[in-house]
Amino acid sequence: MYVHVPFCASTCDFCAFYQTSPTADGVEGFLSGIEEEANLVEWPRPVTTVFWGGGTPGLLAPTDIIRLGAIIQRRLGSVSATPPSEFRSPQLLEWTVELAPASVTDARLAALKEIGVTRISMGVQSFQPALLDALGRQHTLDQVMRAYGRIRTAGFASVNLDLMFALPGQTEAEWNADIDAAVALAPDHLSAYCLTFEEDTKLWVKLSAGRVKLDVENEAQLYETTWARLAGAGYAQYEVSNFARPGHACRHNLATWHMHEWVGLGPSAASQQGGLRGANIADLVEWRARVARGARMTEDRVALTPALLLEDSLIFGLRMNAGVDLNALRHRYPDAPWSTVDALVQRLAEDGLALLETGRLRLSDRGRLLADAVGAEIMESMDEPVSA
Amino acid sequence: MDVSLTRNFCIIAHVDHGKTTLSDRLLEHTNTVQQRVMTDQHLDSMDLEKERGITIKSHPVTMTYPAKDGRLYKLNLADTPGHVDFSYEVSRSLAACEGAVLLIDAAQGVEAQTVANAHLATAQNLKIIPVINKIDLPSANLELCMKQLEDILMIPAEEAILASGKAGIGIVDILEAVVKRIPPPRWSEHPHTRALVFDSLYDSYRGVITYARVFSGAIKAGDQIVLMSTNQKADVKEVGIFTPKMQKVDVLSAGDVGYVVSNIKDTSEIKTGDTLTLSRNPATVMLPGYKEVRPMVFCGLYPLESNDYEKLKAALGRLRLNDAAFLYQSESSVALGFGFRCGFLGLLHMEIIQERIRREHDVEIISTYPSVVYRVKQHGHEEIEVDNPVNLPDPGTIDYISEPTIKAAIHIPNEAMGDILSLVMEKRGTVEHTDTLDTTRVMLTCVMPLNEILVDFNDRLKSITHGYGSMDYELGAYQPSDLVKMDILINADPVDAFASIVHRDKAEGKGRALCEKLAEIIPPQMFKVAIQAAIGGKIIARDNVKEMRKDVTSKCYGGDISRKRKLLDKQKEGKKKMKQIGKVSIPPDAFIQVLKN
Repeated sequence: MYVHVPFCASTCDFCAFYQTSPTADGVEGFLSGIEEEANLVEWPRPVTTVFWGGGTPGLLAPTDIIRLGAIIQRRLGSVSATPPSEFRSPQLLEWTVELAPASVTDARLAALKEIGVTRISMGVQSFQPALLDALGRQHTLDQVMRAYGRIRTAGFASVNLDLMFALPGQTEAEWNADIDAAVALAPDHLSAYCLTFEEDTKLWVKLSAGRVKLDVENEAQLYETTWARLAGAGYAQYEVSNFARPGHACRHNLATWHMHEWVGLGPSAASQQGGLRGANIADLVEWRARVARGARMTEDRVALTPALLLEDSLIFGLRMNAGVDLNALRHRYPDAPWSTVDALVQRLAEDGLALLETGRLRLSDRGRLLADAVGAEIMESMDEPVSA
Repeated sequence: MDVSLTRNFCIIAHVDHGKTTLSDRLLEHTNTVQQRVMTDQHLDSMDLEKERGITIKSHPVTMTYPAKDGRLYKLNLADTPGHVDFSYEVSRSLAACEGAVLLIDAAQGVEAQTVANAHLATAQNLKIIPVINKIDLPSANLELCMKQLEDILMIPAEEAILASGKAGIGIVDILEAVVKRIPPPRWSEHPHTRALVFDSLYDSYRGVITYARVFSGAIKAGDQIVLMSTNQKADVKEVGIFTPKMQKVDVLSAGDVGYVVSNIKDTSEIKTGDTLTLSRNPATVMLPGYKEVRPMVFCGLYPLESNDYEKLKAALGRLRLNDAAFLYQSESSVALGFGFRCGFLGLLHMEIIQERIRREHDVEIISTYPSVVYRVKQHGHEEIEVDNPVNLPDPGTIDYISEPTIKAAIHIPNEAMGDILSLVMEKRGTVEHTDTLDTTRVMLTCVMPLNEILVDFNDRLKSITHGYGSMDYELGAYQPSDLVKMDILINADPVDAFASIVHRDKAEGKGRALCEKLAEIIPPQMFKVAIQAAIGGKIIARDNVKEMRKDVTSKCYGGDISRKRKLLDKQKEGKKKMKQIGKVSIPPDAFIQVLKN
């Protein structure tokens, strides 16, 4: 289950996610909306992972956290509603909440612990004050350090830090220093994102105006440095931008990359369930209105055909270091155009972009840097009519 | 009207020496076109002509002029194409006249085409009226122009009229000179009707419209005419003159220039230079100078999108209707699919047709490497003509290959001499002689293979001479040459569109340059891509396309899947717009860029 908490105190220059300023009415509407939307969903089996993203879920007041937590708990497959047990559902494996450093307070952390959250993901982005400023982030280095200390003290099972590289004006030395600073904190998990220019962001505007320049070679080198250094520090890469100590990979995200089902609640949240994929409208008021009419997953709605699921299993599966099990996919989707897929696999392997071992296909480091190009090739090969 | 009161003349000049502006002033002065309907460059009606400052189609016009001698004259002005590609058309336009106004830009002096055009006019026995134009320019050098007139063109300087088309200076002097110096229409006493065809046009309502100069006799609606080169007969539906719009008249008589609408359906049946006569009482001897025009330069034209094939075919058909010198036939290429082999008079002609396809017919096209027509002799066979490298027979069976040459007159500033000599050498040319034009300029007369000037010769001439150099050429003889077919291989697959016929000594250098260029133009690819140049299986040059370095979205979670798919889909569609050669995606403009050097 994914819950999109759409509130932010301000908009970061790089962010294209749906968010709005928190008001008392807005939060009230959001919480009741989530409850209504959860009632619309058919829950065929217990939820195994929960992820609250945003936005900044940490902007919710402790009481609102408790309230939202209670709504969620009802869907976790347990009838018991009496606190304070750690896990209310034996099936629940992971419950992640994203927090911004500025919103981390002991009261909030206590509320999160109380509802059963197991994993905190904190958006640090950078340990360099000048770069934080350049990204439009609202926190200081001091806040980051204090927040991290509080989270650790509260005793969550797993903690992730988000970092960003290839920032405008960032030197390689500064990025290395960020990696060092992050590793020194010994989180369980690290996400290291290459800055992406997304439409509808302030950075995009700067890029279009020529004030920021793209340097693909520099980005590629930073990727390589990052992967090598984090591996050396004991963080195994398991996806393009995700690294974890043993046993700390994010199960929620792994499930989506494996094309399992998930239910997304809240404005702009995407779902993949019951043969459909789609997203809610990215507008708090309109989302509520639609939920009130019983409508969800109203945007980008597509039927999940075997061909689409196979295509996405390959495109998104290959982003993971473990790659995909072609034999299993072949078994699951026997009618796909396998001859063209096999030809592509052959070419990828010949050119050192991928490795094929006992039916499992995974990208090489060079191939992973080209995961989008590989994805486009996969789409193209799936376009081919099935050969007779 | 009395034939002695008719004058047929044309204006000849180097490009940009002010021909069209002067024509416009003549039209205004004779009230042929009211000033208020004059747009600049009235006679050049095609956009391309205006942009390039050249005349592609003929735009004849009939004016009446009350001369100072008190008599009213009929003046027929033939506006001639102004480029070497169309030199035969120029010669036919000139043949329709008795005199020529030779324009010289007062600031530029005599240039290559001034000389070439003056020679063409002299060859047609035309009376030349020298006019020094743009005399109001601050940089005008009248003294030099006068001297060049005498030294280079052997025309007495006192015959020169000083004028400015722009400022309207000397217009009456020119009109008076046309009346007084140019003789009345020749051969008007010939016993049979004869008219010279100097152009034709396709009109979607009226069919083929023939432009003709009547030398003797008369043509009117209802006559049956005979095209003497083919003996084809046609019924005349209408005759008229150009004012400059087409205006119907009862009869075209000796000395007249006008148009003939007949029941001929296809412009290819009307050949420029042909003689029209009447089927009753026909002439037996054609007017002099007719020849078959044949395309000199060929290239393949392919639609960028293969489903535009029919659209391209229709566009070529339309263009052909108005341009009998342009030929096309369908062909196919392994790399480019279905398209057309097209023949042109020269490079400018080729560029113009390509441009018109894009602009007027809205079809994006890919052009292959241009080729001249080679003559190939195989053991025990007759000579064959080859205009497409792909059709070159197995080298083992070839006795010899010969290629067309040109004789070029190149005008350059003295200081460019060394560089131009190297350029001519590089292009396998020889300089036959050099003539001093004045204290600052020389004229080189060179023989060069036509295929060497196809792509960039003129650009380089202009660049070396900072725009001051100019060239004119006429076709010369075929000469045997050590020519080979050079293939370009992309990942070991030969790409027929890039194949070319080159001189053996230049193959390696050219191959290397082509490989380098392709490696630069083809965007980075996921897979390793080798580009090689080869002669008969032997690799003579190679390069590698850059490898793609990074193409990955950093953040990609459940909520991003739909958006991600849209992006990948866009990426995939972008790739579809490229030409796939094996597993390599080549942007369509790569083909054009490679040719541009």
